Amino acid sequence: MSTGTHPDTWSLRRDLRLAGWQILYEQRAFWRNRARAFFSFLMPVMFLVIFATIYHGQTIRGPHGAISYDAFFVPGILAYGIIATTFTNMAMSTSILREQGVLKRMAGTPLPGSAYVAGRIGSTLLITTEMTVVVLVIGRVAYGVTVRGATLPGLLAALVIGSASFTARGVGIVRYIKNAEATPAVINFAILPLTFISGVWFHSNLSTGITDIAKVFPIRPLAHALQYAFNPFTSGSGIEANDLETLAIWLVVGVFMMARFLRRPAGD
Amino acid sequence: MNAIEVTDLRKSYGDREAIRGVSFTVAAGEVFCLLGPNGAGKTTTTEILEGYRSRNAGSVSVLGLHPAERPRELREHVGIVLQSCGLQEDLTVTELLMMYRRYHLRERDVDELIELVELGEKSSARARELSGGQRRRLDLALALVGDPDLVFLDEPTTGFDPAARRQAWTTIRSLCQLGKTVFLTTHFMDEAQTLADRVAVMRDGAIVAEGRPEEIGGRDLRPTEIRFVLPPERSAADLPELPGAEVTSEGDRVLVRTREAVAATARITAWALEQRASSAASRLRSRRLRTSTSR
Repeated sequence: MSTGTHPDTWSLRRDLRLAGWQILYEQRAFWRNRARAFFSFLMPVMFLVIFATIYHGQTIRGPHGAISYDAFFVPGILAYGIIATTFTNMAMSTSILREQGVLKRMAGTPLPGSAYVAGRIGSTLLITTEMTVVVLVIGRVAYGVTVRGATLPGLLAALVIGSASFTARGVGIVRYIKNAEATPAVINFAILPLTFISGVWFHSNLSTGITDIAKVFPIRPLAHALQYAFNPFTSGSGIEANDLETLAIWLVVGVFMMARFLRRPAGD
Repeated sequence: MNAIEVTDLRKSYGDREAIRGVSFTVAAGEVFCLLGPNGAGKTTTTEILEGYRSRNAGSVSVLGLHPAERPRELREHVGIVLQSCGLQEDLTVTELLMMYRRYHLRERDVDELIELVELGEKSSARARELSGGQRRRLDLALALVGDPDLVFLDEPTTGFDPAARRQAWTTIRSLCQLGKTVFLTTHFMDEAQTLADRVAVMRDGAIVAEGRPEEIGGRDLRPTEIRFVLPPERSAADLPELPGAEVTSEGDRVLVRTREAVAATARITAWALEQRASSAASRLRSRRLRTSTSR
C-alpha cells in the first residue's frame, strides 16, 4: 500500500524546503479565512483614514522646517500595522494553536519545530509586506506622502529589523502566557500604553522623562526610524542608527524567548 | 523485536503517583490494548511512550529508541491519534493529508487513505466543516499518512455512536492486516475484546491483569441474571433443575443467576410452556456481561 520511499533523507535543504511549503500552506489558510484576512488589513487602513481626516492639512514644526502632518502619521500607522501583523498576530495565533492542540499534533510529526515556526514566520512576514505596500500606496495616492530614493535604505532597514524583532517576540511571549484567553489582554497591555508615549498616533512634545522611557522599548524606535525615513528634511540614507540598535537588541531578546518557546512548543 | 518495552515505569504529578510501576511489552505486529476507567493512567502512559511527557523512573523503549529524547527517526515511524487535537481548520481534508504527508520520508497514497477512512465525500471539505466522527477518522488518516510501523490510538472511539464505532473498528482491523503494531487505549471492554491480541487492564496507575482478551473477559465474567414472573399457582420450588444456577424468589418474582444462560433460558422456557403459561406473563431479562473496570 505504501507508495515507496522518498528519494532523499533528512538534510538542511529538505528542512528549508519544508519551511517553504509551510509558508504556502499558512498563506492558503490565512487568505481562505476571508473575514480574518480582510479585517487584519482593514485595521491599519482604517486608522490611516481616521488620522488623515483629523490632521490633514496641518503641519509640524521641526528643527529644519515645517513638515506636513501626513508625512508623520503615515509612517506612524505603518509602525502600528507592522506591530499588529507581526507581534499581535503571531502571539494570538500561536497561543490559539497551542490551546487547540495543533502544536501538539505538529510536535508528533517528523517536521522539525524550527521548520514549522520558520514557515509561520515567513507567512507572517509576507502578510506584513503586503500590508506595508497597501499603506504606502494609500499614503502616496490619497495623501501624497512619499519616501525619497535617498532615504529608502533607512525605510527598508527599519521594516526588516523591526518586523523580525516583533515577530520573534510575538512567538516567544506565548511561552509566558498560560492560556489563549489571557493573550489579548496581555498583548494589549504590552502594546497599547507604549504606542501612546511612542509617537505612533500623534506628535507631541511629551516630557523628556516619558520619551526616555519609550526609547528603551521597541515601539518608539520603530515608529521613529520610519518617521525619520519619511521626513523630507532627513539627509543621508535615512538610517537612524540609535533606533535600529535598540530594535536589534530587542531582536536578540526575541530570539532567546523564541528559542525557549521552541524547546516545548506544545506546553508541558 | 518488541515494538514497545516498558519496565517499572513511574510518573508523579506533585504528590499524586499517576503511574505506579507499570511494565509490559508489545510485540511487533501485535494489537495491544490498555483497558481501564478514566483516570487510570492510560493517557499518561501513552503520552510518555509518544514522547510528550517525561517519566520519573523506569525504562521505556519504543521501536528501539528513547521517546523522551523525541528523536526524529521515531517520529518518522510512529503515527499518533491523540485524544483530542486541533487542526488547521481552514484547510481541506485532501490539503491536510498532503501537507502532513510531506513531513515524512515514507508516504502513503492520499486517495487510498481517504478511501480507507471513508471520507471520500468530504475530501474537499474544510476541517471546520467536519462532524466529530469525521474529524476522528481524519485524525486516523493523518496518523497513517507517513506509513508508520507503530500506531498509537488513544481512545479512538470515545463519543462515537454504535454505528460509527463499528465502522472505526473495521478501519482499525484493516491496520492489523497491514502488519502495523497498534497500541490502543479504551475504557470499553467490548472494544478491547473486538480489536486486541492482548489486553492489559489498568487501574489507579497499575496493571491489574494482563492476557488475551478471552482470558481477561473470562476472569471478569459475571453471572447473567434472568428475571421472570411465575405462572399463577406455581412456586419457585416447581422450577426444573438448573445446574450451577442460583435461584432466589420473592413472591411470584424469580431471579436466576447463572453462567449457563442459554441452557437455563431453554429449560425455563420449556417448563413455562409445559405449564401452559402464557408467554406474555413471563418476562425474561438478561444483563450483558460487564467488566469490573467499568464500575
